[in-house]
Amino acid sequence: MNGNYGRRIWYLCVALGGCLALAGCLFEPREAALPADGAVVTYFDKTSSNNVWANLGKSLEATNSPGWEDNISLEEFIYIPDTDTENQFPPGTFVGWDRDREVNFINSFYNSGVSIVVQMKDDDFVVPPDTGLEVEWENVIYFLTVINSADNSVTKYRGSAIITFRLEGNFWYVYQWRDQQGESDPDTGQPLPTMGVLRGNFASK
Amino acid sequence: MFDRGLSPHCRSVSCTGEFLRQSVEHWRLLLAQIVMVWVVVLLSPTSAVAQTEDNQPAASDSTLTSPATGGGLAAARSQADAMGEEAEEGDEANNVVLNKTGPLFVRLTNTPKVGSKANVRQNLFFGELSSLVTMRNAASFSNMLKWSYEEYRKQNKNVERRGESFTYSPGAGLPLTFALVGDWSWMQDKTVNTAEFANLFAQDNKMIRLTGTRTKFTAGDFVHSFKMGGSFEDRQSVNQKTEKNAREGTVNAGLQTGYKILPGLVVAGRIYGTTNSGQKTLGDKDGPSSAIGDTLGIGIYYDNVYSNGRIAVTRSNFEKKYLDFRKNAIGSIDTIGVSDDLKIVNELETQDAMTLEFEANFNLGPVRFDSTFKRTTNDLNYAENGLGLRERELNEAKFSLGVLVGVDSLSVSYDYGWKWDDQTIQGATAKRGRQYNKRRDLDFDWERPLFKQTRFQLHYRVGLSQDIAEAEYNANDKDRLQTDFSVQLNRTWPQKFTTKLLVLYREVQDISIRANRSSNNNIKDTFEITPSYTWYTSSWLTWDQSYRLYIQYTDYVFSDLEQVTRQDNYNKRGNLTTRVTLHPTKRLGLIFRHDYNKKFNATKSGEDAAGTVFYARDLNQTISKLDMAMTFKVMPGVTLEAATYRTRDDRENIRGDKVTEILNFSGELWVGARIVQSWPNSASFSAIIKKFNAFGPSVSATSASYWEADIWLKWEF
Repeated sequence: MNGNYGRRIWYLCVALGGCLALAGCLFEPREAALPADGAVVTYFDKTSSNNVWANLGKSLEATNSPGWEDNISLEEFIYIPDTDTENQFPPGTFVGWDRDREVNFINSFYNSGVSIVVQMKDDDFVVPPDTGLEVEWENVIYFLTVINSADNSVTKYRGSAIITFRLEGNFWYVYQWRDQQGESDPDTGQPLPTMGVLRGNFASK
Repeated sequence: MFDRGLSPHCRSVSCTGEFLRQSVEHWRLLLAQIVMVWVVVLLSPTSAVAQTEDNQPAASDSTLTSPATGGGLAAARSQADAMGEEAEEGDEANNVVLNKTGPLFVRLTNTPKVGSKANVRQNLFFGELSSLVTMRNAASFSNMLKWSYEEYRKQNKNVERRGESFTYSPGAGLPLTFALVGDWSWMQDKTVNTAEFANLFAQDNKMIRLTGTRTKFTAGDFVHSFKMGGSFEDRQSVNQKTEKNAREGTVNAGLQTGYKILPGLVVAGRIYGTTNSGQKTLGDKDGPSSAIGDTLGIGIYYDNVYSNGRIAVTRSNFEKKYLDFRKNAIGSIDTIGVSDDLKIVNELETQDAMTLEFEANFNLGPVRFDSTFKRTTNDLNYAENGLGLRERELNEAKFSLGVLVGVDSLSVSYDYGWKWDDQTIQGATAKRGRQYNKRRDLDFDWERPLFKQTRFQLHYRVGLSQDIAEAEYNANDKDRLQTDFSVQLNRTWPQKFTTKLLVLYREVQDISIRANRSSNNNIKDTFEITPSYTWYTSSWLTWDQSYRLYIQYTDYVFSDLEQVTRQDNYNKRGNLTTRVTLHPTKRLGLIFRHDYNKKFNATKSGEDAAGTVFYARDLNQTISKLDMAMTFKVMPGVTLEAATYRTRDDRENIRGDKVTEILNFSGELWVGARIVQSWPNSASFSAIIKKFNAFGPSVSATSASYWEADIWLKWEF
């Protein structure tokens, strides 16, 4: 009995030790370069929904995906497109759009060599106060101008959305992004698509 | 393969005439059935037929569309799976005992349904009628007619939908299992945006499709499954006053063949082809459209007492020609400032994909080992779209080992994924550069009974994900390393008491490699301890209580540099949840719940010569939430329900000497009823109605008072 028990403990130690050894060899992140002067992206603390929404804007302007990943829900993120966008893409393109798909999208988008000018909300939007464990922003209008240096194209996205923020741990995160409709370009009056079209472009190709 | 329609003594070439006569008879019968079914359904008192959103096989038929849209092994596999699934259905149909002498129509069932749904976002009204005609020889005809109207509460928007779909199956007796599917869907979506721009998005789509399948039929030493089909679609839509129409016909066929080389060793191949042709209109431009695609696959499969596995290779291609809007290098429509004659282009899209898979699994008593290797390559090329050529490669290797050692069970798994994609933007002479993503995950689990009724679980996981841009074509290189270690104890006293204790440690390193991204590099260490219990005091009273203590330290790697403004911080949270569930009578249920959540954040303010780190607290917050829910069964089929909560949110923001106190209250109350009633004449009624009232500083007017409902009435005759 004691012999068996000792052998089991020995097997366990070997297995765990093997795992740790493997982890040490294979799971070593690379060395990072020291931050360059003038290239520091300073995010706000995620202590309010307003800060979180502003952080997404900072992430877009800096095309810095960790900033996006760090401000959308770590537990459950949901994106729901507007019906117009949904109908432009093959059925199922947006089904089950969760954190993993959002992270894939934002990395592909930023890696495509674009630069972005963004206004995350209209000046007259009244930010609801954070209270309790969840807060919903209704009819927030965001506006993105995407400049692609590869072909010198400029595309614009302006949409009205319902954004739900949740308190996870001690910080706020975007839990649900529901696009409602595309909004008009304030300069030309041209109706523009929502950011869902960008998501659909990367998800469907 | 055609023996089903022949008499037992007549399976030779000389009997072909009799077989043909029988086949012709079947086709005549089939045609008569379709005509008569339509007459019966259309002349019956409820001569409407309906369609549901879930019942739109035309739009989602993976078999017809996969090779053209998805490509790769996924396409081939979905095709094979679809063939398999339909084959099983076909088998069931083929097993039906033929009844050639009974009446043509066995039964007609009509089920009308009307109802309404409401929630905080929209109100929906709907009506539908489903009809099912069962005929002799297991033939059937199902039909659905549907109408719905949605009005949105938070937008100026309404959507009306109408639809009709039918499925006819001639049942057993034919050499193939046939299905004829028709579908019509109509939709008008009217939206007015905040600039008062009104848009009508309208669709009118019609489709008819015939499929035939035969599965697992034997010819010599080979086992075959076969599928063929054809469809015609007429799609019309208008959005922002731009028309997008298409009329297309499609035919496809697939064959899967297997050959048993030795007992437990099979070689199987599959071939699938599809082509369509038609005419498309986009804006004011007309043009032909066409697509052709094929999939070819072969695999060797083995299965014996100790092991099983496979090696398979699949290749699929397609070529599509169609009208499309001019698009830029990321695939977005790019027509602003472009002259009208250049806004729409004749696109040629081609794809070439290949997948190689290897799987080997071993089962040796208490030891089990599984391994999988997979490589997928995919080249997608556009002649006009700014995306140009996209090349992708995905590699994956997985190993897992499970061992039973006495009462202990151990498992170790390792997953390595390595993929890249590259792009040659339209008109460019060089490739963009490969974007690599490498992912490694190692999992270790140990589980054993520790004492009587007590189980011990240990979990260790480490995962590294790396993004690497070849030749630094972008500055987004980054690594993310996550390590989890947790121990859990579960103890159960049967029917009386259960306890659980979870202790968890997690470390996450977010490392951006390049100098202009690395300022926010950080390491987060999280500690958590969560004890909980459930006490089944009596048959009518249960107590649950859990306590969660959580602390997270964030260490900004470069916080000591002058140009980096981020400071290390930590945050703590304690959460006590108490829930009491009461059933004082058989008809009354009550749940009381209280969440007490206390947390604070602190930021590093200094460090002394001895290395002691000082933190200054900058947030104190206490959230207290009290919930109550009640259900009361008034009578069979009628239940009253109500729930309410009230939250007190007490917060202190501290910035140096300045302290800002904020106190908010919010809450919600809803009352409602749930009624479920069935009558002997096959009618049934269901209603769930709730009235919500909410208050609080962040509650909007549309969320402050609204109805939630799901009401429907249906009957069957």
